[in-house]
Amino acid sequence: MPGETFKEYVDSLSYGSRTDLLFKWLKNAGEEAAEHFIQNLLRELGEVVDTGDLSTLFNMIYEAQLAAYSPPDEETRWKYDEPLFAPLPKPLSEMRVGLLTSSGHHVKGEPHAPPEIAGYSQEEGTKHIGEFGRAKPFLSAVPVDLPEDDFAVIQPGYDIRAALRDRNTVMPVDRMQEMAAEGVIGELAPTAYSFIGLTSQIRLTKEDAPQWAERVHDEGWEAAVLVPV
Amino acid sequence: MSVGHVSRAFEAAGIPTVIVMSNVFRGRVTVMRPARTVFTKHVMGRPMGAPFDVERQSHVLREALKMLETASEPETSVVLPERYRVAPER
Repeated sequence: MPGETFKEYVDSLSYGSRTDLLFKWLKNAGEEAAEHFIQNLLRELGEVVDTGDLSTLFNMIYEAQLAAYSPPDEETRWKYDEPLFAPLPKPLSEMRVGLLTSSGHHVKGEPHAPPEIAGYSQEEGTKHIGEFGRAKPFLSAVPVDLPEDDFAVIQPGYDIRAALRDRNTVMPVDRMQEMAAEGVIGELAPTAYSFIGLTSQIRLTKEDAPQWAERVHDEGWEAAVLVPV
Repeated sequence: MSVGHVSRAFEAAGIPTVIVMSNVFRGRVTVMRPARTVFTKHVMGRPMGAPFDVERQSHVLREALKMLETASEPETSVVLPERYRVAPER
């Protein structure tokens, strides 16, 4: 826009007028790093035009994301003094293993969030990000044998395009079923769970996560694969 | 971060967990001292691999299950060396 500074442009990518959830981190990367990244992006795109080799481009995006989310801007609010560790009581091939993700997957048409934010589409959600951050966590139950067409995903904390193309990019229900069929795990728990990870972390840690642990324990989960986004 | 909280609650309840996530967020999760974590060198939003890259998704999951089976102490983690790629032609 006329008169817009480079900083204003970059800032608009993060829940602003040009929201782009794959590149929102450019806002926090710093002006110099953002300028460097965009210059390199154009250069690599120029290379791809001739070579068709996308690997350098992918690496560049990954490395820049890693740098943007690494110290010194490291989030240290949720720092714990002690690790927790439950040992595996028996071979995995004899266990019921469950799957839980923060990808925002749910059954199409079913409630997937508290009422105050449940009406937002993915795009609308990016404009009401603060409301998600304050909302009570909501756990969606998803039968693992549900056809992919009956899955929906809303999670304004991340770029859901890959999840929409193939749920297994973030919620590997098909891959888990294959592991059960192969006998790597005893069985896959019939209900998988997902929640919108962009939620009240205080409520999650104090109230919901312990309740969820109790719930899956009652459903016979003996181990869990957890996938954050 | 949110799954880090869930992981701790599950471990406290006696349910062993393994987290599978992009290495991009490693710094944020490591301070939460999770029991077992498999990090992938994948871009944000695609921790298991690209859409329809069944081979990569299976590999990542196998590594996670292997860690679940073999880890004998807390804060066991690995960064898988494979870089993000689009699915090989099927």
